[in-house]
Amino acid sequence: MKGPDNNTHWWLGVAELAAHGIQHGAEKLKRVHLSIADESFRVLEAIPVTRSASRFVRVCHHSIARVSYGSVSLAGRVVAEGAASAAVEFGPG
Amino acid sequence: MVSVPSAGQVQQHISAIASGFLGDWLEHRGNALAVPMTVFAHGERLDLQNPRPAAPGSVLCLSIHGLMELESVWDFPAKPDEHYGTHLASTLGDTSALKLRFNTGRPIYRNGQDLAALLERLVSNWPVPVKRVVLIGHSMGGLLIRSACHYGAANDHRWVSLNPDCVYIGSPHDGSWLAVGAQKAAGWLNRVPRDYMKVVGEVIDLRSEGIRNLSRGEVFEPGTSDQPLLHGARHYVISGLLAKGERHPVNVLFGDALVHQSSARGDRREGWELAGIANFPGVDHVRLAHHPLVSQQLQEWLV
Repeated sequence: MKGPDNNTHWWLGVAELAAHGIQHGAEKLKRVHLSIADESFRVLEAIPVTRSASRFVRVCHHSIARVSYGSVSLAGRVVAEGAASAAVEFGPG
Repeated sequence: MVSVPSAGQVQQHISAIASGFLGDWLEHRGNALAVPMTVFAHGERLDLQNPRPAAPGSVLCLSIHGLMELESVWDFPAKPDEHYGTHLASTLGDTSALKLRFNTGRPIYRNGQDLAALLERLVSNWPVPVKRVVLIGHSMGGLLIRSACHYGAANDHRWVSLNPDCVYIGSPHDGSWLAVGAQKAAGWLNRVPRDYMKVVGEVIDLRSEGIRNLSRGEVFEPGTSDQPLLHGARHYVISGLLAKGERHPVNVLFGDALVHQSSARGDRREGWELAGIANFPGVDHVRLAHHPLVSQQLQEWLV
């Protein structure tokens, strides 16, 4: 069995798929991370002694997490779009 | 001796698996991983406008693989040049054994429409007049045959008037328990009021239209009522079972691993007249595509 006709085009396809996976995977991972963290923050918020500190930590935690996952997702998007554009350049025909 | 797959084979398998999971999306994006519909004769790609296979026969025997598979699924282990088509060709004579490769993630009805048009071009451009067409489909490939027969008949295609022999091997006419399970799991997870559970449901929901069609054996365009089997054609059904005892609990739960015997026979479909039904306990879903007993059964039916 032979490989694909246009190897460069094939690898750009792999790159686009992988980068899309990173882009959307980071978004989904962010939601999982934040919603699991919220389970703990909900408990801490229910206790009067830890309520105010918990709110502050929650805001910091969620902000840092959003920026971190957002950066990874953005990088994935840039690579995916770049690979898709390059695939048009190197594609058949 | 253990055979090591070549880089080309690995790449084709990656394309086949990616196409099965996300084929409709890959096609929409113009991604090179999307597998184009292609016909092979003796491992060589055929030009449909001008097919020039070595020794073309007046009988066309086309083998159509299933979800995430390649045409290599038909090859007998350790005998890569032998498959059901070549066995039939050597007995029938004057037969061309062909194999189809296609993007299994696309909706089945779209692949069915393309297959019908492809068969029409193949029959019209074949170097010698075609007298008989034999279609052998494994798993999703069998559903594709039903779909192609419907669209071929609707468009008055010449190959349909040849009254093809259609063999459905382990095809989930009434759906696959795994595809149904995935659909139910995704639905349940999406209703749970926790975002991390919803994400799991959304990941399951990423599956292609082709996989979604397998949950209920959908082979026609949405909105089309269920159509009967192609009139005049001969239809044969083959099913497998994981365990050798037919009533073994494993068989009741999992059938051939992916498809229950009742679904392979299309028990819920009305008015089906089958020319032959065979069941092979102890032969699982994938081995149904390259098993000596199945080959023997095809010889009995088609020769």
